[in-house]
Amino acid sequence: MGLSTGESDRLVETRLVHAHGIAALVTLLVSATFGIIVALQLLWPELGRDIAWLSWGRLRYAHTQGIMLGWLGNAFLAFLYHGVPILTGRPVTSRTLGAWIFGLWNFAVMAPGWILVLAGISQPLEWAEFPLVVDAFVVLALVLAAVQFLPCFFARGIESLYVSSWYILGGLVFTLLSYPMGNIVPEMVAGASGAAFSGLWIHDAVGLFVTPMALAIIYFVIPAALRRPIYSHFLSMLGFWLLFFLYPLNGTHHYVFSVIPMAAQVGAIAASTLLGVDVLIVVANLFLSMRGSGFVPRDLGLRFVGTGTFFYLIVSVQGASQAQMAVNQAVHFTDWVVGHSHLAMLGFASFAAAGGLVHAWQRIAWARYNARALTWAYWLITAGIVIMFVDLTIAGLIQGRMWADGTPWIESVRATRPYWVVRALSGIPLAGGFIALLLGLTTGPRGAGLREVERSIGAEPIDEIGPRLAPAAAVEVS
Amino acid sequence: MNPHPQRVLRMSYIVASVAGVAFFVMSVALLGWWPKRVLDEQTRAMGPPYVLPLSESARRGRVVYSREGCAYCHTQQIRYLHSDMTRFGAPTLAWETRLDYPHLWGTRRIGPDLTRAAFTRSADWHFAHLFSPRAIVPASVMPAYPALFDGEPDRPRQEARDLVAYLETLGRARELAAPEGEARAREACNCPDDEMALMAFDGALNTHPARARRTREAPALPRSEDLARGRLLYGEHCATCHGATGQADGPGIRGLSPAPANLAEHEYSTERVAEVLWNGVSGAAMPAWRDHPPADLAALAAAVRSMSRVQPNPPVPETLVELGARVYRENCVQCHGDEGGGDGAAAAQLPMAPTNFNRQRPSLDRTLRILRNGIEGTPMAPWTSRLSDAELIAVAHHVRGYYERASAVPSNIRR
Repeated sequence: MGLSTGESDRLVETRLVHAHGIAALVTLLVSATFGIIVALQLLWPELGRDIAWLSWGRLRYAHTQGIMLGWLGNAFLAFLYHGVPILTGRPVTSRTLGAWIFGLWNFAVMAPGWILVLAGISQPLEWAEFPLVVDAFVVLALVLAAVQFLPCFFARGIESLYVSSWYILGGLVFTLLSYPMGNIVPEMVAGASGAAFSGLWIHDAVGLFVTPMALAIIYFVIPAALRRPIYSHFLSMLGFWLLFFLYPLNGTHHYVFSVIPMAAQVGAIAASTLLGVDVLIVVANLFLSMRGSGFVPRDLGLRFVGTGTFFYLIVSVQGASQAQMAVNQAVHFTDWVVGHSHLAMLGFASFAAAGGLVHAWQRIAWARYNARALTWAYWLITAGIVIMFVDLTIAGLIQGRMWADGTPWIESVRATRPYWVVRALSGIPLAGGFIALLLGLTTGPRGAGLREVERSIGAEPIDEIGPRLAPAAAVEVS
Repeated sequence: MNPHPQRVLRMSYIVASVAGVAFFVMSVALLGWWPKRVLDEQTRAMGPPYVLPLSESARRGRVVYSREGCAYCHTQQIRYLHSDMTRFGAPTLAWETRLDYPHLWGTRRIGPDLTRAAFTRSADWHFAHLFSPRAIVPASVMPAYPALFDGEPDRPRQEARDLVAYLETLGRARELAAPEGEARAREACNCPDDEMALMAFDGALNTHPARARRTREAPALPRSEDLARGRLLYGEHCATCHGATGQADGPGIRGLSPAPANLAEHEYSTERVAEVLWNGVSGAAMPAWRDHPPADLAALAAAVRSMSRVQPNPPVPETLVELGARVYRENCVQCHGDEGGGDGAAAAQLPMAPTNFNRQRPSLDRTLRILRNGIEGTPMAPWTSRLSDAELIAVAHHVRGYYERASAVPSNIRR
């Protein structure tokens, strides 16, 4: 029972999956390079002294925008080209449109965005550093992506939508709504009020763009790789709706103890707590769906998303706790939060994105695939993020302690240095892992991924995967 | 059983979808729009009627601050927390930020908060520090910005001047509003039970608590014999400007005007060191260090005093004493005061306080050099065109005499 190339090409635009996948990996390497340079600059601040565009602040802008839009954005688009046709049984709107979206995203958003922030044209807003002119192209590309993918979902009734489809629908729609709010409103609303809107976007960027797409991938890959429906469609929908109700209400927890009205702060903290509960539901459902496949599944796509799910659990429980005033007071503004955001973007989202890429690659008959390199990638990235996360968390606690007890400021910088050394060292396994990930998907024999799937659980035609990823089919199975 | 499970499911999904969009709208309304309304109202009620806008130069400086990502290490948001307030001043009120497009609150503090940073450091200090942060603060991890300069810290380009002009506006609105502004804000706050809002008006704390100030008031330092600790602290915090042996030859001195004090060529009383550490030197690059524990400041004072290589006054002929007193009376009292206390009639008009000779004694050599050359960056001018060599020598001996005369015990014991 093989997956014929013709059949795959009939529905899935494998060229677009591949193109976005490669673009994702290239932007990942570039963004990680920015990240490693800024980590080294904290140890050797004179690094790049005479080159204005290599200065810490500008690279920091380029790093986070590159990770969110370049790496995750491209990886999500790659997955959408693979997943949406399988979920809906219909091809995407247009291959030409796909080429346009690819061109816009990489050559009208990423390349000029990076060049502009490094040249000093940017806005000083977290997760919104690309200047307004680039924002226009982001919005345009998001609109085109909606045109490209959304019609597929409405071909059949919404009652048969699988949870991944819901996450994709929600992610595309709400990203389109919240992106202008975070990127444009603070330019027009001053000071504290602008910060309130910024707070919403800081959270929505992660909550309404990254998280839904990452969960769509995880919910897709687990049943597709295991050839078994998810544990509970009811829990999956419960988790989805709770997430979409609660996530937008979290934003103000970034400004606890600020002048923003206390009612808004307390409301956001309560929503953050509930969100932690919701994540427990989602993760329980995902882990129960994976039961029997072990901590380190043999299937590499599944292995990546499984570990991503684990990081999702940790980062969400941590997030719910650090929103609480007693914790926030001690860790806000410290490296603890930097550790938290790396666990979210690199631990949770990047593992899901990598899992989605590997899973899709395995099902492109002409794609090169190098399992050895991917295994290395998995272990190296896992080691890197764990080292970085633990290290920064401890550093944050120390900084918070020193700030609270009135120690002269510079002492807190001095005390952090050993932790910054470890953080910079964590860049070695991470960079190695990212390179291995690129090698894993660009070297090795063509079609090796497909053969590996056939050897283990056996590849199956798209027509058989799709129905299993629908609630109705699940009812029949159980 | 419901005969149409599919329809029920579809309906519930439609309801949920509408609710989802409604929740998003609600989030914007509750956490964006409503706070904006409350904050606008607060701004109207608690703020002064007008907030001075940024000058053209400061506005350009804000653009530099934004593009270099300064806000990613330096927050501009003081929280309602004891630890924030003691370090950085009163918590940020909404009206203070009403001209901030976009806000620069920041999410990470690697360096200190800058909400009230204006005048905590001199412009010279900023230029020297922006050009080469570690020339001033050895443990700093701040990037250097040589691109804002023409190769030297004392040759700032317009962009560096703009940036410093912007830094000097930070906290200005709140400072200008006080104390009437604080009273008005407190009254309009309408928050009798809101402990957090009230913390914003706790006392007259409306500037940076560590700002340099022109006052002689300083608490007495505890006695300290801990010279080792003092020398360690000196090496960490002072040596970049004052030099490893106190000779004002550290890497940070380029661009500082007036130059940092040469500690080897001066003898300071403990009160003088305490006064400077506590208040900084207003008008010079020396910041205040009162955020450090008193025991450390005391140890530091001991270390600083130990660096002096100043010899006691040699005996001088009576004629010279008289000449010195006359020259001083005729030329110096305007600024340095009748008894050398730095409190002459003109002292208050000067951009920085004249030397109080009762609390410090320069070496004879140094005194003569200053009389002949003046002190760059201060109102002290060269006196060679007005006074003869003999008069210069006489008045040098005279001003050096105040230090001993001011203290009951001889200097070798005081030291």
